[in-house]
Amino acid sequence: MAPGALLLEAQKEYEKESQKADEYLREIQELGQLTQAVQQCIEAAGHEHQPDMQKSLLRAASFGKCFLDRFPPNSFVHMCQDLRVLNAVRDYHIGIPLTYSQYKQLTIQVLLDRLVLRRLYPLAIQICEYLRLPEVQGVSRILAHWACYKVQQKDVSDEDVARAINQKLGDTPGVSYSDIAARAYGCGRTELAIKLLEYEPRSGEQVPLLLKMKRSKLALSKAIESGDTDLVFTVLLHLKNELNRGDFFMTLRNQPMALSLYRQFCKHQELETLKDLYNQDDNHQELGSFHIRASYAAEERIEGRVAALQTAADAFYKAKNEFAAKATEDQMRLLRLQRRLEDELGGQFLDLSLHDTVTTLILGGHNKRAEQLARDFRIPDKRLWWLKLTALADLEDWEELEKFSKRQEGCALPSPSASFCGDLHETTQQI
Amino acid sequence: MAAHLSYGRVNLNVLREAVRRELREFLDKCAGSKAIVWDEYLTGPFGLIAQYSLLKEHEVEKMFTLKGNRLPAADVKNIIFFVRPRLELMNIIAENVLSEDRRGPTRDFHILFVPRRSLLCEQRLKDLGVLGSFIHREEYSLDLIPFDGDLLSMESEGAFKECYLEGDQTSLYHAAKGLMTLQALYGTIPQIFGKGECARQVANMMIRMKREFTGSQNSIFPVFDNLLLLDRNVDLLTPLATQLTYEGLIDEIYGIQNSYVKLPPEKFAPKKQGDGGKDLPTEAKKLQLNSAEELYAEIRDKNFNAVGSVLSKKAKIISAAFEERHNAKTVGEIKQFVSQLPHMQAARGSLANHTSIAELIKDVTTSEDFFDKLTVEQEFMSGIDTDKVNNYIEDCIAQKHSLIKVLRLVCLQSVCNSGLKQKVLDYYKREILQTYGYEHILTLHNLEKAGLLKPQTGGRNNYPTIRKTLRLWMDDVNEQNPTDISYVYSGYAPLSVRLAQLLSRPGWRSIEEVLRILPGPHFEERQPLPTGLQKKRQPGENRVTLVFFLGGVTFAEIAALRFLSQLEDGGTEYVIATTKLMNGTSWIEALMEKPF
Repeated sequence: MAPGALLLEAQKEYEKESQKADEYLREIQELGQLTQAVQQCIEAAGHEHQPDMQKSLLRAASFGKCFLDRFPPNSFVHMCQDLRVLNAVRDYHIGIPLTYSQYKQLTIQVLLDRLVLRRLYPLAIQICEYLRLPEVQGVSRILAHWACYKVQQKDVSDEDVARAINQKLGDTPGVSYSDIAARAYGCGRTELAIKLLEYEPRSGEQVPLLLKMKRSKLALSKAIESGDTDLVFTVLLHLKNELNRGDFFMTLRNQPMALSLYRQFCKHQELETLKDLYNQDDNHQELGSFHIRASYAAEERIEGRVAALQTAADAFYKAKNEFAAKATEDQMRLLRLQRRLEDELGGQFLDLSLHDTVTTLILGGHNKRAEQLARDFRIPDKRLWWLKLTALADLEDWEELEKFSKRQEGCALPSPSASFCGDLHETTQQI
Repeated sequence: MAAHLSYGRVNLNVLREAVRRELREFLDKCAGSKAIVWDEYLTGPFGLIAQYSLLKEHEVEKMFTLKGNRLPAADVKNIIFFVRPRLELMNIIAENVLSEDRRGPTRDFHILFVPRRSLLCEQRLKDLGVLGSFIHREEYSLDLIPFDGDLLSMESEGAFKECYLEGDQTSLYHAAKGLMTLQALYGTIPQIFGKGECARQVANMMIRMKREFTGSQNSIFPVFDNLLLLDRNVDLLTPLATQLTYEGLIDEIYGIQNSYVKLPPEKFAPKKQGDGGKDLPTEAKKLQLNSAEELYAEIRDKNFNAVGSVLSKKAKIISAAFEERHNAKTVGEIKQFVSQLPHMQAARGSLANHTSIAELIKDVTTSEDFFDKLTVEQEFMSGIDTDKVNNYIEDCIAQKHSLIKVLRLVCLQSVCNSGLKQKVLDYYKREILQTYGYEHILTLHNLEKAGLLKPQTGGRNNYPTIRKTLRLWMDDVNEQNPTDISYVYSGYAPLSVRLAQLLSRPGWRSIEEVLRILPGPHFEERQPLPTGLQKKRQPGENRVTLVFFLGGVTFAEIAALRFLSQLEDGGTEYVIATTKLMNGTSWIEALMEKPF
């Protein structure tokens, strides 16, 4: 007789409160086969189909374990769990008559897949929970399958399906709402797909699908919510191709963040569009700056540059930026003047600052012209004084410099001139 | 190795190792010999993560700079482009790929986007017909780069301009991503505080991203207790003032780039006997500056006026140590002396370098003009004569001092007066345009848009209230043995750091009124931790706060935070993160616009 069989007998006698139990047990122990006996009972339980028989075998194993010091509990526990799963699927409602060996061969994952295929979702989930499978492999996966099936039920309204799915799934980790939505979209249920996407926390998944479903505006607001500018750009370029220009601009107008991003894009890629955008918003200040840039970048001829500046000045007036408008007009005047100076005197004047223009004139010995220019553009006395001082020092015209500093005496100007000239004198003499 | 990264309270080497691992994994994906084509801007930051040796171990044989036309010849199997996701770079890459010689051996192309893969760029590559040529297209999320044991930077130059001028949040998104990476390595940060519009957005993005990651529960014990997000535009004042710490001054005068500084070589000429001294080195002396150097770690955050005494003390100690050799009698003693030699020689070399740097800086700081400029700055910051045209600024313009210097001063005056009177503002602007050229009107517009330069609205100057409540100006400042953060600017306590200080003690509730005056919302968010990860603080254990400056931070501010960390009864240690390490000059420069 196998030790396992003897152990089973022993346990039965024990229940009957018969002393035979002790005899049998002693017999097994004397042969040193108790461990083996327990293992045999556990294994035999696995291969039994009748729950009653399974139970008595397991009871025998458990009884035997009491007399063992260190019997690892794993095999017993796992067998109990496996049997529970097997008995569940063997139930006639389910009807999967699986043997223990088959089950071990298939693995639990395959068994779950089969249950899913038979749409036995609740049982599958119960099994996962009972076996404490990690959520991503277990419950979430099954819920996702369930949801994908659910969206194919055409007789239920979008509203109800979406709500049902969200109720079941909630924030279960590892469930991809966008996968489910993609399935819904595949079945032609776009509205449902959109509703489902509402629950998708990852905008990187959400947005491309929305674009695919031609819900670009919704995609835009989702992209903006995420803060991922690359995603916003992607939607914007999509929208640009999809909508006509007017509609596109109108859409932008309601989305300030998208608008500023698109402006950045235009600044580098499509300058003309940038102008249109500013025009649409009546943003005269930026239009002014735009034309200033244009006056430097696009135009070669002086007339063209002045014309661009004129447009800029007009824009600044509209923006109520008096200062910028006046400064721009001054610059136009200066440009024309510099052009004339180049014609009459030769040399380089264009694009020098006013300050440098006057300096160049003094260096060239055109003192009258310099004075005239300084007056016309109202250079403050103090700066003019510094300007002349530096220019004369550069010319090393010490005589004129001395006269100049004397002439200025009595004026309420600061006079670091002595030390300044001293410094200069020293340096030049060293040279 | 980068041992200096692990000295601090938070071991930032963990982060460095994580990004290095990611880089190795990518390189190993492209089997065989490789050439890397670099977006030039990335080489500096990458140098802090991986030296050439690491790349070489993974069969990187050649490196090129990304430019148009055909790629240089290289007998390698793989060509990898390391680029930022920018459209203009995509055009260059496409040009490279298309002009590839068809007759030559075929080479595999790959592209690594730093820090983020971009659909927009891939679309561009597709439009140009080259997207299919790339085998691997991946992203390398190098957001926060460890610079020092307590310092992280994204080195994103345009961040301030993008956020505050152009309404482009890309760098904020990257900042949030970087914070998520940090939390994945160092645990969820339980409390987030913030001040400013951008801070609010970053916090929102973080909360959102956390939702995207539900499921993968973070089970790391949190290292950081708090995160403080600060907008640069909450404190526009600090970067405009001249930094007066040692490191700050090196940065102000020579500019520190990716922890390296280039210095004029004359002072570093090897002193040799005879006529060797005649041929001076012409190439700039390049030095790495971080806390791996013992002496530098000690003096970097001191007020410059306190550096000299430390250097001379060190000199005495070192020469005394070298004198020891005369006392070494027995063989054992000599052996011990010899074993210390390398360390002593390194210390001597480091001392020589810093003495030279200090001399260079002293030449500048003792000049009359530096003194005048500083006086004006300090007057503005302490609230003297901020409402009228300043003589010194006028003179600077008239003598055509550098435009950036002038702009810094004018902006400083504007900020210290909550905007200038229209008349004063127009006067300055006119003077600048007439002297430096009309084209700078675009720069002036930018400064106005950023709020650095503005007309006073409502006729109220809020700065005195802010100054008094936050104690921004301290008259009795001790530069040698500081007792307050104001030592970093010899009197002015940086507003941003004061906010951090007040947050830890007694809390922001005490300064509600000032917070309302400063721009943007202030807020607090909690990220709940699972019970197992909640911290039980030991008595006397300091909190760790991560301060993130959105839009840039100066070395003086970093020094001030380090000073607070070291306070015995401070209770808080700080780790600093930022979008860019900067100073007033580089800041204004980034805001300038040259149309030609």
